[in-house]
Amino acid sequence: MDPILRRSSFFYVMALFTYMSLMGRYMLTRSWPVFEVLPLFVPVWFLGAMFASEHDERYAYLRTLPIPDRQVVRTKFALILSFAAVQWALMTAAALFRMSDGIADPTTLVYITLVWTFGLLAAGGYQIAIWRYGFPVMSAVLGVSIAAGLALVIIHLASLKYNDNWPAFSQSGVVEWFGRAPWISNAVLMALALLACRALMQVGIRVKAASEAHL
Amino acid sequence: MDTVLEATDLTKHYEDFSLRGVSLAVRRGSIAGIFGPNAAGKSTLLKVLAGQVPAQAGTVRVFGLTFADAEQDLKNRIGYVPQEPAFYPDKTVQWLVRFSAPYFARWDGAGFYKLLDEFKVNPLKKVKHLSGGQKKLLSLALALSHEAELLILDEPTAGLDVVHRRALLDRLRAFVADGDRTVLAASHITDGLDEIAEEIWFLDDGRVVAHEDKDDLLARWKWVHFKDGALPKALEEGLVRVKRLPFGSSGLTGDYHNLRGALAGPLASGDVKLDNATLEDVLLSFIKGA
Repeated sequence: MDPILRRSSFFYVMALFTYMSLMGRYMLTRSWPVFEVLPLFVPVWFLGAMFASEHDERYAYLRTLPIPDRQVVRTKFALILSFAAVQWALMTAAALFRMSDGIADPTTLVYITLVWTFGLLAAGGYQIAIWRYGFPVMSAVLGVSIAAGLALVIIHLASLKYNDNWPAFSQSGVVEWFGRAPWISNAVLMALALLACRALMQVGIRVKAASEAHL
Repeated sequence: MDTVLEATDLTKHYEDFSLRGVSLAVRRGSIAGIFGPNAAGKSTLLKVLAGQVPAQAGTVRVFGLTFADAEQDLKNRIGYVPQEPAFYPDKTVQWLVRFSAPYFARWDGAGFYKLLDEFKVNPLKKVKHLSGGQKKLLSLALALSHEAELLILDEPTAGLDVVHRRALLDRLRAFVADGDRTVLAASHITDGLDEIAEEIWFLDDGRVVAHEDKDDLLARWKWVHFKDGALPKALEEGLVRVKRLPFGSSGLTGDYHNLRGALAGPLASGDVKLDNATLEDVLLSFIKGA
């Protein structure tokens, strides 16, 4: 296994493990609004894993080794994509499992994919920003983003619970529209997300090669 | 002798510093030294030459190749020791080598641990618990263990005690002994590298202010100690770093070969004496405001 991948994957595996043990298990046991709220924590966990991984990264040292920037960027994006794919698979499996008792429906699958897409692209964007502006600058941005994300999800959860008129994202018009053909929508959304992720990776290669802020 | 490293008109701008039009060529099998005061641009220049950061203008060719075309190959053939190695602080030395070795095309694991033993660096220690000098030696051990053909060293003796400094200098001499391998090191003048360097570049304020073979340089730079009135006025005015002393004056000339005739008389009369200059003396005469 590539040493960079091995080192960085520790933080993502830990994030996956903590998410599944703290949050994911409720997808199998709790009722509404479990699939509305818990997927929203995924991007937050994603950023948390990235924060830990990048805090510990030493790009200046990596540059002294015979590893082209292209390879470093590909490894980091492969890691992000792998983490996202496992998260998506586990959440989708949980949603399929809960369809029988009516806690999830076809639109839930689309909703999970939409949130997943957001998390994937946000993580890719933050990763590029770390290369462009350096971790010391981006650690503050990441910290604020994580705190803001957590706060918004908790506010959303509380509002859903105590305000009958509070809109649920998973029942919004867009999700309902995509949910008419969930498997096709999912396939299209994922293909678009992967294309966008690939484009971000190309941007990342250029940004990393040109920037010295992360060294 | 062929050239292993050639840089032409390198330019690199930072907010508060610029490297301006630096050119140099390093011969295979030599020890080349870049000397200069703090903030002269030595580290920036070495980073560009080692492919750590790109130049904004100019070209770098190492073994005839550019980093744009052959980054991986060149980094396998170059051993770069930065001024402050940026290792993973919470990891052990052993972890670091397990992490790094797979990336190199060639790796001498036994040689690496032998070097660590020689440098008294404990492989089980976390990097953050190593001293600055030990981190330098670890960085050097990594550079030497992938069988590099060119070492690029930034202040390699900084933070080393006298024993390790001497061992390092001996190792660098041995490194180039076969005539195939080359060392380019940047340093302050007074840390021993000036002893082993054969070709010298003086850098100040982002520019090369002098470049010469060390022996030629030291042969033409002399201290001239003279009693007042003993030197012809034109000759006295040609001296630099002139110091007035109670019994006369002293000044430095970089034109000793041409002044030898004019100095013959005063030397014979005992009114003038000559002393060899050190590289530090010469460097100070080039630095603005020194």
